[in-house]
Amino acid sequence: MREATRCGWLLALAVCAPCLWAVQPAPERAKIPGGTFATILPPADKVKLATVRAFAIDRRTVSNADFARFVLDHPEWRRDRVARVFADPGYLQHWSSPTGAGKSIDAQPVTQVSWFAAKAYCEARGARLPSWYEWEFVAAASESVPDARADPQWRQSILDWYARPATAGLPAAGSTRPNFYGVRDVHGIVWEWVLDLGSMMVSADNREQGDPDLKRFCGTGALTMEEKENYAMLMRVATLSSMQASYTSSTMGFRCAVGPDPAP
Amino acid sequence: MRRLAGWLSLLLVCTALNTTLGAEPPAQYPPTSIYQLEAALTDQDGGLHGLDVYRGHPVLITMFYASCPASCPLIIDTLRATEKDLTAAQRADLRVLMISIDPERDTPAALKSLAGTRRIDTTRWTLARTDAASVRTIAALLNLQYRKLPNGEYNHSTVIALLTPQGEIETRSSKLGTADAALLARMRN
Amino acid sequence: MKKWLVLVAAATVLTACGDRKPAVVVPASVDTGGSRHGDFGPPQGEPVMAVLTSPPHVPPATGRSAPAKVIVELEVQEVEREIAEGVKYTFWTFGGTVPGSFIRVRQGDTVEFHLKNHPSSKMPHNIDLHGVTGPGGGAASTFTAPGHRTQFTFKALNQGLYVYHCATAPVGMHVANGMYGLILVEPPQGLSHVDHEYYVMQGDFYTVGKYREKGHQAFDMQKAIDENPTYVLFNGAETALTGPNALKAQTGESVRMFVGNGGPNLVSSFHLIGEIFDKVQYEGGTHFQENVQTTLIPAGGAVTVEFHTEVPGNYVLVDHSIFRAFNKGALAILEVSGGPRLEIYSGKQVDESYLSEKVGDLAPVSVAVAASAAGTLTKEQQIQAGAVLFKGTCSTCHQEDGKGLPNVFPPLAGSDFLLADSKRAIGIVLNGLTGPVTVNGNTFTSVMPPMSQLNDDAIANILTYALNSWGNSGGQVTTKQVQAVRATTKRPEGAAH
Repeated sequence: MREATRCGWLLALAVCAPCLWAVQPAPERAKIPGGTFATILPPADKVKLATVRAFAIDRRTVSNADFARFVLDHPEWRRDRVARVFADPGYLQHWSSPTGAGKSIDAQPVTQVSWFAAKAYCEARGARLPSWYEWEFVAAASESVPDARADPQWRQSILDWYARPATAGLPAAGSTRPNFYGVRDVHGIVWEWVLDLGSMMVSADNREQGDPDLKRFCGTGALTMEEKENYAMLMRVATLSSMQASYTSSTMGFRCAVGPDPAP
Repeated sequence: MRRLAGWLSLLLVCTALNTTLGAEPPAQYPPTSIYQLEAALTDQDGGLHGLDVYRGHPVLITMFYASCPASCPLIIDTLRATEKDLTAAQRADLRVLMISIDPERDTPAALKSLAGTRRIDTTRWTLARTDAASVRTIAALLNLQYRKLPNGEYNHSTVIALLTPQGEIETRSSKLGTADAALLARMRN
Repeated sequence: MKKWLVLVAAATVLTACGDRKPAVVVPASVDTGGSRHGDFGPPQGEPVMAVLTSPPHVPPATGRSAPAKVIVELEVQEVEREIAEGVKYTFWTFGGTVPGSFIRVRQGDTVEFHLKNHPSSKMPHNIDLHGVTGPGGGAASTFTAPGHRTQFTFKALNQGLYVYHCATAPVGMHVANGMYGLILVEPPQGLSHVDHEYYVMQGDFYTVGKYREKGHQAFDMQKAIDENPTYVLFNGAETALTGPNALKAQTGESVRMFVGNGGPNLVSSFHLIGEIFDKVQYEGGTHFQENVQTTLIPAGGAVTVEFHTEVPGNYVLVDHSIFRAFNKGALAILEVSGGPRLEIYSGKQVDESYLSEKVGDLAPVSVAVAASAAGTLTKEQQIQAGAVLFKGTCSTCHQEDGKGLPNVFPPLAGSDFLLADSKRAIGIVLNGLTGPVTVNGNTFTSVMPPMSQLNDDAIANILTYALNSWGNSGGQVTTKQVQAVRATTKRPEGAAH
């Protein structure tokens, strides 16, 4: 009788396991202290500094395997069932099946996911996407200092990623060296979604600075990008501003954050 | 034997649970319909609705905020100008949904006040507010950009989208001040 | 009347024959009206798919005489290829090449422009065409994320040769990675026929490694800001237009080159070694200059050059800021084949050793000088030294054979005047002689300048040589004798000593 009970429990566990996925280990998080810093996207015309409150952020990007677990539990996010309004036709196209990426790429950062899908993943884990300022704050760090943005060598090392041909395969998520905050994969792997994608009001013609066309953007107009020598960051802003929320791309991934809701 | 039956039924229940948990949502709306987003809207009279409050009608949908100094008053004028160019029958069928990007300040009372000041016909127009997360998602669906400024004002782009009765975006316009001819052409079809 | 008509018709037909359109010359004082006169109305006929070509080729003339709707489909691809032998670089390209595909339309055409960004691209891209009238040249309307496409439409109101380039931030980096090309907006009457049209575009490139350092090289932002390129190249690679990839023509052909400069930083001093540009439409505009050796192409600008080939050989395209050509790769070849035209260019005709005529071998002079110092100078040594010195100085007038020039310069060979008085001869060499002198019965009225550059030894040796040459009876003049004459006679003004 006890044998049957044990077998039964095991059976039930096996069947119910997918329901329990939420307690499986997800990427660990690093605590990031709050702070004020000079941002590449100043909040307003004369305001150059942004403030970030203390939060926690995933130490690595979300992997294909992570996302597969999410899709298993939320089949409405399978590529053959997702609403087209939430993800374009490129969504998860690189996966071998609608429910799994395939062993060879399981460990790689997940790409070909839309902003809506990334957001849903984070929400399912009781988290959210990081805001641009939170991301920029973490990304300013090198391995040894919290703000390496003025270091030309650091900038060049980031630009070196752009020189790598697009066809070279992605390394495993979490395989790069941690930065000052213990966060990996921030540079040189994939672009990452941010929560306030709709706030990156940069003119599509990036050469327009301080656009005075009030009718287009009620208020002060398109954002002026500061720190024009910091090309690595400029390119990240340009990339994010070229994407719409339903777009997917082979170089856009994401990670999650937890903390007080950043300004809308 | 009874225990086996018990375990089997547990198995069945678990399986059923799994299936229903992962069940496809009822296929109400076409794949490109924005009504697939579940959002809780509160209108100027305090009534609760989903984003699909006006399903079955063509809808002009936009986002604004009540204390907007510059373009938002113009949005209302633009919407009115667009309406005017329709036939009476088309106008009667059309609905207008304006969602606030400033849910903190735009309470139903504030929206009601605005509706009164601008003499908005609330039988066919709705001024609504929702939670910050839904604001973000609806803006993303409309490809509308907005940003809160340190002084509490908002920077935002102008988007007036025409929705089909099933909630698909037929076309989008950024034109402010006068009715967009391209938008009108689609509405007349 | 009928005959006249026939004649007129024949004349018209004859002049219209052949595919040579008469070149429409726009006088410098008249303008074509620019954009205000560039709108020829709505497009007519069926939409046309634009023929795009990869460099160095150019699409054929549009051949249109009415405005058309032209559809352009251009894809951005990020590709890795060799920039120099053994050196790889990741280029961002329009159409897979650097420079990007050549676009050819006619003034007044309506262009429906489709920009596609390949899904494998890391970056968003857009396009600014300098031939577009409108904000950003199209940049704001074509900001395209990887794996997406955008579209906008413009009317080409101005004729000319225009650069196009990516304008996504940071713009300098996108341009430095090769995102540029040319769009030609033909004048309404088209361009005159030529045998070859070629597409060349110069660009500067900035790599972390040194020039020709092998392996994969990344873009170096600091070098770009400092305007210190590693490579300056035509068509994106050192070997793009050399060796088997050289441009080709025959002798007796007309060649037109559409030459652009993508920059991002450098201005080009464009020159074709061995050829002259018969016609230069400077800055890609409407008017032209003729007979130009080197023309300036601004960064983000272009030029159309035309020339006619006559002589076979390899002609080298360079940026005449010459270190760029030989140390950074700004070099391309045009191979012209055909029969020689020796009357225009003969090639090398003479190659032999060259010794300054009058100098000769100074060895005997050195010997004499040494011997004189040692006090062992012999007559024979004097004669040999004198021979060399005579050849270098006196033979100009008196000739090497000592015969002089009849009625002009007196002979020294068999000269009664010389042989009669060697002291007088010393005086003449030192002080010169003006006025009539009778030698061997002939009178010479000329001027012999004082040989004030000769020293005593030299004069002694020269005179000894003269007294003993050409059948002269002999004699010797010593340094001491010359010194004595020098001391007692007055040197004329301006004499060396």
